[in-house]
Amino acid sequence: MSADHTRDPCPYVILNDFGGAFAMGVIGGCVWHGIKGFRNSPYGERFPGALSAIKSRAPGIGGNFGVWGGLFSTYDCAVKAIRKREDPLNAIIAGFFVGGSLAIRGGWRHTRNSAITCACLLGVFEGVGLMFQRYMAWQNKPMAPPLPDGQQPLAA
Amino acid sequence: MSWLFGYPAKKQEDSTSTATTSTSQIDSQLGFDASTISDVSSIISTPGGLDSSRLHPLAGLDKGIEYLDLEDESLNAIEGSQSLLPSRGWSDDLCYGAGTVYLAGLTVGGAQGFLEGLGKINRSDPGKLRLNTVLNAVTKRGPFLGNNAGVLAILYNLSCSTIDGVRGKHDGFNSVAAGALSGAFFKCTKGVKQMAYASAIMAGVSGAWVGFKASLGY
Repeated sequence: MSADHTRDPCPYVILNDFGGAFAMGVIGGCVWHGIKGFRNSPYGERFPGALSAIKSRAPGIGGNFGVWGGLFSTYDCAVKAIRKREDPLNAIIAGFFVGGSLAIRGGWRHTRNSAITCACLLGVFEGVGLMFQRYMAWQNKPMAPPLPDGQQPLAA
Repeated sequence: MSWLFGYPAKKQEDSTSTATTSTSQIDSQLGFDASTISDVSSIISTPGGLDSSRLHPLAGLDKGIEYLDLEDESLNAIEGSQSLLPSRGWSDDLCYGAGTVYLAGLTVGGAQGFLEGLGKINRSDPGKLRLNTVLNAVTKRGPFLGNNAGVLAILYNLSCSTIDGVRGKHDGFNSVAAGALSGAFFKCTKGVKQMAYASAIMAGVSGAWVGFKASLGY
């Protein structure tokens, strides 16, 4: 019904999501490991400790986020192309495949459990999104315009 | 912009006309006699009262989807910023730049690791162990190169957008300067010499990128 004009069409949005998730992970990893490295360093070594923790760990966090986001976007596009519709189930299916793909080296049981966990997580996200959407629609529900009192002519 | 500000030719005609002509004009515009209106439902039930072609030009109903072009979806307006893909601003540049470079680094590093892993295979190992050897090499090389290249791309795009915003336009000089800055920042804990090397390499790479874009006509 309503197309989302804030996101690019499908093959390109994968690159966008890769980069967005990677940047989010790197920046978040800088904050996280900056604080962690600061707190875990002895006095006098706190800023060097924070800096070395950021340097060694933030890119890895960014990479993990980026691979997750990019894979999710790829699967999302694939599911969209196959199902030819856009609904919350797309994200759940894509999450199932992402969880499975990322755990595929851990054996069959690990792959299955990760896929199901990830699909449930995405289902919760989508459910919260739907609830929020309904709440926004309820808040902005259409109101009847106030009628003018008396028989005033409408001449402008 | 006529859909937003109305059609200028029609303006201010009624200021000089008499009361009767202006009433008839309003009638012809609205499609009903305004003095007979008592409630909203009589407007709606008037035949032709809700003809979209008679509505105010502000509605812009004859312009297709144009009235949905909100401000935050317009394209980047900085001079010279038009590039290979349409961009909505610095965040789009950042996402596409980081994503492309990260994926390229991951691919190149993964291929390098794949070849390396193939060379490390023991002929006497069973198949599962051979697969693991190759995959270990791939996941060692690929993310390393991808992460570092992605961080460099983030730094480059952030500094490039900052320089663009300060100067108010985008050109090749901005890109090379942003490359030099990001290279220096990437190695800022390794001493001045390393910083200078990294800066020069990144300036060269971004210069090559500018040349590549120029050869495509951007």
